Amino acid sequence: MSIRQLSPETINRIAAGEVVERPASVVKELVENAIDAGARDVEVVTAGGGLSLIRVSDDGCGMSAEDLALCVERHATSKLSEEDLFDIRTLGFRGEALPSIGSIARLEIVTQEQGGSSGCAIIVDRGAKGPIRPAAINSGTRIEVTDLFSATPARLKFMKSERSENLAVSDVVKRLAMAHPQVAFTLVTGERASLKLPACKADADGLLQRLGRIMGRDFLADALEIAGERDGVRVAGFAGLPTLNRGDASQQFLFVNGRPVKDRLVVGALRAAYGDTVPRGRHPLVALFVDVDPRELDVNVHPAKTEVRFRDAGTVRSIMIGAIRHALEGAGHRASARGGQDTIATLRPVEPAAPSRTTGAAWSGVSSRVASVPSSSPLSDFESPQGRVHGFAEPVQAAFTAFSATGADASADAEPARADLMDSPLGAARAQLHETYIVSQTRDAVVIVDQHAAHERLVYQKLKAMLTEGGVARQGLLIPVIVELGEEGAETLAEKADELLELGLVADRFGPGAVAVREVPALLGDTDVDGLVRDLADEILSESDDSALKTRLEAVASRMACHGSVRAGRRLTASEMNALLREMEATPFSGQCNHGRPTYVELKLSDIERLFGRR
Amino acid sequence: MRLVIERGELLRALGHVTSVVERRTTIPILSNVLLKASDSTISFKATDLEREVIEEAPASVETPGTLTVPAHMLHDIVRKLPDGAQVELQREAERERLTLTAGHSRFALQLLPAEDFPDIAVGPLPHTFEMSSADLKRLIEKTRFAISTEETRYYLNGIYLHMATRDDGAMLRAVATDGHRLAQVDLPLPSGAEGMPGVIIPRKTVNELHRLLEASAGSVTVSVSDTKVRFEIGTVTLTSKLIDGTFPDYARVIPQANDKELTVSNSDFMSAVDRVSTIASERGRAVKLNVDGNKLVLSVNNPEGGSATEEIGVDYGASALEIGFNARYLLDIAGQLEGDQARFMLSDPGSPAMVRDSSDGSALYVVMPMRV
Ligand SMILES: Nc1ncnc2c1ncn2[C@@H]1O[C@H](COP(=O)(O)OP(=O)(O)O)[C@@H](O)[C@H]1O
Ligand SMILES: [Mg+2]
Ligand SMILES: [Zn+2]
Repeated sequence: MSIRQLSPETINRIAAGEVVERPASVVKELVENAIDAGARDVEVVTAGGGLSLIRVSDDGCGMSAEDLALCVERHATSKLSEEDLFDIRTLGFRGEALPSIGSIARLEIVTQEQGGSSGCAIIVDRGAKGPIRPAAINSGTRIEVTDLFSATPARLKFMKSERSENLAVSDVVKRLAMAHPQVAFTLVTGERASLKLPACKADADGLLQRLGRIMGRDFLADALEIAGERDGVRVAGFAGLPTLNRGDASQQFLFVNGRPVKDRLVVGALRAAYGDTVPRGRHPLVALFVDVDPRELDVNVHPAKTEVRFRDAGTVRSIMIGAIRHALEGAGHRASARGGQDTIATLRPVEPAAPSRTTGAAWSGVSSRVASVPSSSPLSDFESPQGRVHGFAEPVQAAFTAFSATGADASADAEPARADLMDSPLGAARAQLHETYIVSQTRDAVVIVDQHAAHERLVYQKLKAMLTEGGVARQGLLIPVIVELGEEGAETLAEKADELLELGLVADRFGPGAVAVREVPALLGDTDVDGLVRDLADEILSESDDSALKTRLEAVASRMACHGSVRAGRRLTASEMNALLREMEATPFSGQCNHGRPTYVELKLSDIERLFGRR
Repeated sequence: MRLVIERGELLRALGHVTSVVERRTTIPILSNVLLKASDSTISFKATDLEREVIEEAPASVETPGTLTVPAHMLHDIVRKLPDGAQVELQREAERERLTLTAGHSRFALQLLPAEDFPDIAVGPLPHTFEMSSADLKRLIEKTRFAISTEETRYYLNGIYLHMATRDDGAMLRAVATDGHRLAQVDLPLPSGAEGMPGVIIPRKTVNELHRLLEASAGSVTVSVSDTKVRFEIGTVTLTSKLIDGTFPDYARVIPQANDKELTVSNSDFMSAVDRVSTIASERGRAVKLNVDGNKLVLSVNNPEGGSATEEIGVDYGASALEIGFNARYLLDIAGQLEGDQARFMLSDPGSPAMVRDSSDGSALYVVMPMRV
């Protein structure tokens, strides 16, 4: 046998075998290209499960005639810089998709460059490239793939039913749509419009609206926003309350740098984060968005790019766990208050109206899940420099109910303003709302403080300070607390005894799967020792051993801080509230909690006046 | 229902019962007080489902009857009426309202059905004994500071009241602990208390009871079962559910062999701890006790805030010792001592310390040290 150079067609067909397993793979490549092209509106049409027709139209940047001729060539891409192969910020980068598809189907591309005056088209029919010809199209690109796999009958044999191919296509579109809420998607398989997703705002609220469209309205009502950040890794997204769960893990989504991926990491992280709050065999609903420096990530594991490899998976996992836990803890009693949740959900509009393109696009600012006010509300377009004002509409409403329920005596809630404190940055505490937020008043603003997040930050800073001083002071326990951790957990904790000692925790093995806790960080006061130690065991299990000791200690300290802080839901006296405010002022970084979220917001009086049309 | 009652009587009764009414409750009827008029008395009852308070007051009842009205609102109205006013309460025929008339003031309050008012089914309370309010108050005052506020170990969220046997006889003992410190106070066992079960009285009940005892000078009748406790103080009856749990075997943590005895003037000690702990600024920093011969040096070192030391003379014969404590815990305990001298029984820097009143053997305190 003699060696010979493979023809380009053969190379493309081999590549196609890797990239294109089934029609859904084609849809994925084409939709990714549309998103990479900056499309605001993407339409996908299929027929015959995608085998007879796949058509993806977008309103993105389009291509010039020269680019069009190039794009169907192998390894032609506009997305990868030769200087830095690892700096990948787009969905595509290998320049393989179009030539591969062209080698196993009939591929027609019609495109017009943005700002250009005329369109052009090309046909690649099972590897045979036709000429560039003029064509009529508005700016954007329309790609039609017909007779898929007609050149590779072996593949054709492995196709499942039309229905299951349609399901796979829809799954692909949904996942990409979740990662890109600001893009409108339409998917038509067969005759009827199977999916229509209006564009959403590019903020957390918009994301939640999009997720709700795909994961169900239950999720919209019962999702907690999560956020965590450390060492350049950011985890955001939404996690469902433990009470919202499914029999399988199909409603757990992971996105890394905007790319939908599958990774077992999530399974373990969710198990650790939810612990026993979700019954055995049930799975919580989550959509997690991880952002890391592309250089910290290898997406080139598989040609279909559905897998990634993190350089530092331990950190990612630990941040995920921390962020979800934090959100669940912050939710306090909410998990068990399904009744109230359902009530709120019924007050929401059945189908949230699509925000108009013009107002939606300009959206910016922080908001949380409480901001699910009907977008038809007259306030919804109101913006202030501090962010979304209408985001407060719902809590404020609820606060009024709380006040009226308490009758005439509001002394438990409202404090007289101490004039001497009004000049300090965070002002004089006036009230506590929902036993979670401290409302204070300065000369020209209203300040709202998240008591748990703020206090957690203060405790964390103190723990860190004590660490550098040479150790955290420990309070002995009269009665050791026995914590059942299982073999692995108890072992890990015992191994890390020295590090834990530095952080103020003394625990030793107690029987096969338990530890006896004898001393706890004094800073945490009368704390839930059992919960603390379980949490730390999880944290330690999730931390990779090779991360720096300091990083590990700080991660554990962060968990400890969460335990030593006033919970959402605890009633505070006026002096406790003022003390917290003063301490925040004196503590560096206290404006952000350990997970990178703000600990307070300030509403300038002028903005509030504008809100009421007084200005 | 129709009756006339003197404003002072009404105010006193409402003052006793309304404090158990939660200001924020999701069950509307729990915001209400149940009024029951018969013969020449009216009774008031309020509950939060964990406990209930009933108070009786004399009234000239024209028509007996039972109804419920918002408790805090009624209380607020009565508070604002002039002293000595005669208050007329009358249920409006046909309408679900109560009219309250006093002088030229007239109020109408919305009713909720009396049948819906919850009863914490009491059942029999087989053990009954009597004790002086002052004694019961003392048991509470000397122990309640040590009650745990942390809710996962719920069985520590109250005072454990039970029988104990000492060399000098049977005792009624109150114990509270949060796992960091413990307080124990004994009283000779009142007759009738023999065979009573050990009960954990929840913190909120303890505080409610203390408030009621403050206004009373006489005696208290205590009745207990395995699940409930009742205190009858004059015209007020407080009935409460108990914490359903097992109080830990606290006797094991009371040191038996601490042989380093230190005696110090309690007031000197308290003010010294108070002064040096100014530097500690929060619970994460210890007050160090350095004792050598007849000299005790208290010190706090806070790298962020500075340092403080103070020296006081003590009576101490054992070998030198350095041991640290949470300043708050020391102050809490010293604050309970009534005699001039505090007696510390110490062992080593990692073992619990015992504190007693030099003049009073009925109370003892245990506190775990802090270490760095
Ligand atoms: N819908 C589209 N709009 C504009 N340009 C496109 C579109 N689809 C593909 N292209 C161009 O064609 C090139 C090749 O696409 P593809 O084969 O998918 O490789 P890759 O996406 O990895 O670069 C892209 O780099 C891009 O420049
Ligand atoms: Mg591509
Ligand atoms: Zn937290």
